[in-house]
Amino acid sequence: MESFFSRYRNLLVLFVLLVGQIVGLAVQVRRTTDGRSVLDPKDGSGVRLIRYWAESMVIPTVGGIHYSRLGMSGLWQSYIDLHNVRQQNLDLQRTIDRLRLEQAALLEDAKQGHRLQAMLDFQQKYIYKTVAAQAVATSGSDQSRLFYIDKGSDQGLKPDMAVITADGIVGKVRDVWARTAQVLAINDQTSGAGVILETTRIRGILRGNAAGRLEIIGVIKDDRIKPGEKVLTAGGDMIFPRGLPVGEVQEVVADPDRDSHIVIYLKPAAQLNRLDEVLIITVTDPRFSDEQQQDMATSEALKAPDVNTLREQQKASKIMAERLPGLTDPNLPADQQPQQPPEGTPPPPPGPTHAQPALHPDRFSPSASPAPKPVTPAAPVQPQAKSPATAPRKTKPNDGRN
Amino acid sequence: MSMLGIDSRREIEIRRYPMLVYVLAPLIALVLQAWLPRLVMPYVWFDFPLLITAYFAMARRSPIQGTTIGFILGILEDALTHRPIGINGIIKTLVGFLAASVGVRIDVENVTIRVLLTFLLSVLSSALYLLIVRVMLGMTMEWLWYNELFRAIGNSLIVLVLFHLLDRLKIKD
Repeated sequence: MESFFSRYRNLLVLFVLLVGQIVGLAVQVRRTTDGRSVLDPKDGSGVRLIRYWAESMVIPTVGGIHYSRLGMSGLWQSYIDLHNVRQQNLDLQRTIDRLRLEQAALLEDAKQGHRLQAMLDFQQKYIYKTVAAQAVATSGSDQSRLFYIDKGSDQGLKPDMAVITADGIVGKVRDVWARTAQVLAINDQTSGAGVILETTRIRGILRGNAAGRLEIIGVIKDDRIKPGEKVLTAGGDMIFPRGLPVGEVQEVVADPDRDSHIVIYLKPAAQLNRLDEVLIITVTDPRFSDEQQQDMATSEALKAPDVNTLREQQKASKIMAERLPGLTDPNLPADQQPQQPPEGTPPPPPGPTHAQPALHPDRFSPSASPAPKPVTPAAPVQPQAKSPATAPRKTKPNDGRN
Repeated sequence: MSMLGIDSRREIEIRRYPMLVYVLAPLIALVLQAWLPRLVMPYVWFDFPLLITAYFAMARRSPIQGTTIGFILGILEDALTHRPIGINGIIKTLVGFLAASVGVRIDVENVTIRVLLTFLLSVLSSALYLLIVRVMLGMTMEWLWYNELFRAIGNSLIVLVLFHLLDRLKIKD
């Protein structure tokens, strides 16, 4: 027995390790009701522990390398290459002052919009708070388009939060640790998001393919879809708020798997292969930041003189209207002024009209008839001359035919 | 008799390294694998954990050590992705075992053999990945054969530099 183990120890070690991993895989992958195999989205405690070990060993080191590189480039840009920076700073300050005033006006409109939205019970979400983070590492595999950021639960990050840049959407947060988090990019094969084409309003499902290219599937063939059309998030996936840029249509091809369907390839709005800084949407509730509220108060204070001026103008126009000639007669006392209907009263209906006198009167004209004579009771009835109009006519006997 | 011959050869040509190299080399491989794709290109045309596994398995000429190094590196590599843990673990475990088994029988000091062996191990690795994901797990996965070919070529080119650097770290008798 001892010689068996010593002779086949290599194969036995291999066998044990392989069987252990196969069992581990079987635990992690589950079968759905429609027969597909999918990775259990919630890692078991053992799996999560292994991921935590790997993350603790690798990501801080990669982060250190990343920050060293940033530090070197920052040293150059911040202390050496400062040509025209002062002038640019002044220009930017002016731009910020102008934009803050404009933003205050827009925020008031947004506030009104939110009130209306609440009245209509819309479910749309707006972005109100984001956390900036650096992309420091990748998963190292093109079968897993995942990257790591240098912010985690300490900064309020949670799984399934949307990750964006100023250009467009990037992905969603997957696993979160104290100071790092995983982000699953939208061009991964297992990723998915609801999108809508901006012009044609056609909806579809966004995902990535093996080459890391963005594609929209589940769309029925439509000749209106042309390259260059913008694609936005549809907002129905409970991750990405509605209306964020996704990319633009690059190519439309027939779906090889489904008849009458097409696959739309996109050029992503965000530079998915060259990500440095990203924003994680942490709050989507309708709420303004302190700075925004301060800007709105400033705007209202600035608008107060305008409101007073407008009231003065209204008062002056009222006085002027009273002095202008109208239906009122200034010489008559107030109780003898002609009654005017109050505002909003509908005009009276037209009364009976009197017939105009006929140009060529005849016996049928109303004025041609003699006035009736007064009738005395018990007086004998005088025979009247029969007029042709009242004389009985000889008529043919009705033979039953009309 | 033949087994005795192989064991004798192992005793003669086995390489030893400082303990720090056994710890740092796999760690650096994982760090480079996680960091370099951000800088160079969207496609990952190299697999440092595979190369480190193959190198130590061939240099140590011990299937058990090759299998163990491959197992650890593969598991850690999987843990950095969002895929199930064990896919790369199985692949690297097999690669470590095969590389060590080959290293016992042929001369792996030759540069041409190293490059050729690395190319074959890379192709095998890609084929095993596809087999495990599609057949064993039944999961859907798109696969581009030219990506895998480029990765095998990339690994073979990196070997020319990497193995030479690691050779310099061995303990000289």
